[in-house]
Amino acid sequence: MVMPVSDTPFAALDRGYHAIEKALNYVAAAFLFSLMLLACAEVFMRKFFNSPIHGQADLVEIMIPTMGFFGLAYCQRLAGHVRMELLIHRLKGRALWIFEFCGNFATILIVTVMIFGTSQNFWNAWTLGDSSMDAEIPVWPPKLIIVLGFCLLLGRCLIAFVGYVRLIRHPDAEPIGVPISPTVADVAESEAEVARDAIQDEIDETRIKGSDK
Amino acid sequence: MMIEPITVGLIGIGVLAVLVVIGMQVAYAGALVGLMGIVVTIGARRVRDTGDFWDILDKGWQPGLLNAGTIPFSELAHYSLSVLPMFILIGYMAFHARLTQGAFYCMRMWFGHLPGGLAIATVFATAAFAAVSGASTATAAVFSRIAIPEMLRYGYPAGFSAGVVAAGGTLASLIPPSGILVIYAIIVEESVGKLLMAGFIPGIISAIIYAGSIMVRVKLNPALAGDPIGKVTMGERVASLGQMWGILFVVAIIMGGVYSGIMTPTESGAIGAFVVFMLALKNGMNKSQFLAGLAESAKTAVMIITIIWGILILVRFLGFSDLPNVIKDQITSLGWNRYWILLIILLMYAVLGMFMDAIGMLLLTLPLVQPLVIALGFDPIWFGIIVVKMVEICLITPPIGLNCFVVAGVRPDIPLGSIFKGIWWFFICDVLTVALFVAFPNIVLWLPNNMLGK
Repeated sequence: MVMPVSDTPFAALDRGYHAIEKALNYVAAAFLFSLMLLACAEVFMRKFFNSPIHGQADLVEIMIPTMGFFGLAYCQRLAGHVRMELLIHRLKGRALWIFEFCGNFATILIVTVMIFGTSQNFWNAWTLGDSSMDAEIPVWPPKLIIVLGFCLLLGRCLIAFVGYVRLIRHPDAEPIGVPISPTVADVAESEAEVARDAIQDEIDETRIKGSDK
Repeated sequence: MMIEPITVGLIGIGVLAVLVVIGMQVAYAGALVGLMGIVVTIGARRVRDTGDFWDILDKGWQPGLLNAGTIPFSELAHYSLSVLPMFILIGYMAFHARLTQGAFYCMRMWFGHLPGGLAIATVFATAAFAAVSGASTATAAVFSRIAIPEMLRYGYPAGFSAGVVAAGGTLASLIPPSGILVIYAIIVEESVGKLLMAGFIPGIISAIIYAGSIMVRVKLNPALAGDPIGKVTMGERVASLGQMWGILFVVAIIMGGVYSGIMTPTESGAIGAFVVFMLALKNGMNKSQFLAGLAESAKTAVMIITIIWGILILVRFLGFSDLPNVIKDQITSLGWNRYWILLIILLMYAVLGMFMDAIGMLLLTLPLVQPLVIALGFDPIWFGIIVVKMVEICLITPPIGLNCFVVAGVRPDIPLGSIFKGIWWFFICDVLTVALFVAFPNIVLWLPNNMLGK
């Protein structure tokens, strides 16, 4: 009996890994929302109580790379990064997977090298005790998060590596563990989907309020 | 033989082009070429004449790695970048804050009586919604749901109605909050606040030119305009402004905050996002919509943050290689009229825009184009607006023309072909608008040059 693809250990690994990525993306989202609250609180305190929040600007600055690296692997899995799809979307079957494999392989190279580069940077901050300019917040935690973000991305790229090898061997198999890059029509469809979800009730109201015909 | 930095720069650009064309993510392609380039240029400087490639790699590896490794933190931990996530958040929350319906209703009251009135109302309503959203495609999607059914009911042709919405959606790229203007400001190291201010008047003028073109077309071909809407009194018009208060409030916060300098762009964005968030809650945004919006915002923010650090590694390498300066000197030494060079640059963007999306295109080209444009004596703020206007044109022209696809995605009953047919008048409007800004740069620069906050 042939096992359904969704039950293979590889598919389970992909799903499990994606659950972690998704959770960490929510951490990034939480940072984003906190950034908003922090900036609002700063304006409030400064304008109404004349007492700006100490170290607010430093915190805001540190939050950006933190946010950016918590969500890095998630964005990769969902093919969220900008790229030129002109050629890729014209290819089919094995040729497509070979090109994707090459791009992914080059990504593995740069991510691996960046892990070394950024971990040295983290190590310096850790041993020298670097901190931010005003509030003297230690900067090693965000630098560590950058290294960990790269490591998680590397794991994602390695899963994709296996996925592409599998697809090069069996080009017609169902893609597992590889980001599927959306076509222009897919992007349009997902935008339409969100608009449908959000606007449905509004349209009914427009009909009642805005029309006299 | 010594390897000249400029040679490394040229090879790097060639490799980058190949990697991008085969579909590697722009951020990682930029980082890979940038890092290798930094390693080789540093190595070549240390090795001098011995010229053995492995020797160069050996000498350049450690310092190059350390250099590139600092960039994700040192270049991202900048206060000015923090405005981006705020603008992204506003855009996603605005979907649920029901600001679109009020804007369309109000504009319909004010402009509905004109020839082609509903189409004109749609243009101005997209401009108003652009003030709470920086995303062109999202704006086009929302108005496809709201304005197209209304126009069809009054007998406007489908392709024309779809074209109006697709073109109107592009206004979001110029009118603040605009994500793309912030990205431009960061890459060319200009003031975010000034660029946001600079987009405002050109955005309004683009909308007026669109509206004017609709009136002219309706005069030439009365079949385009549907039935007139019923009579509206001045009292009703004024009362309809009440439907706009949410948008007007956000505009007042963002424009007022940045213009007066009492708040940073980030703070203005944060308060704007908070207000839109509250409106969305009031209008029944549920938990799953909130979480989905927040996760999408994070994903978009991560995408932009990633491409920024990737490209900044490339930019550091280009700086080491001196390529931007050499290109600048070579082209300025030709002695051509600077407007011809500008025209060539703009045509290049028009062509590139057929193959790439806006962010990738801007980030890949600006490190080389920007120094040249400055050397030609053009204002960097002004050039940002011109480039973003070019990006907008790419959003409505085939083959990508993402906004047209979005409209077709919402309205599968309207064929893509007829949408592209409905758009070409707006394309001409955009070309004329760019020409207008080139001829009269002060239209763009007046507001940023007179703002109180610097």
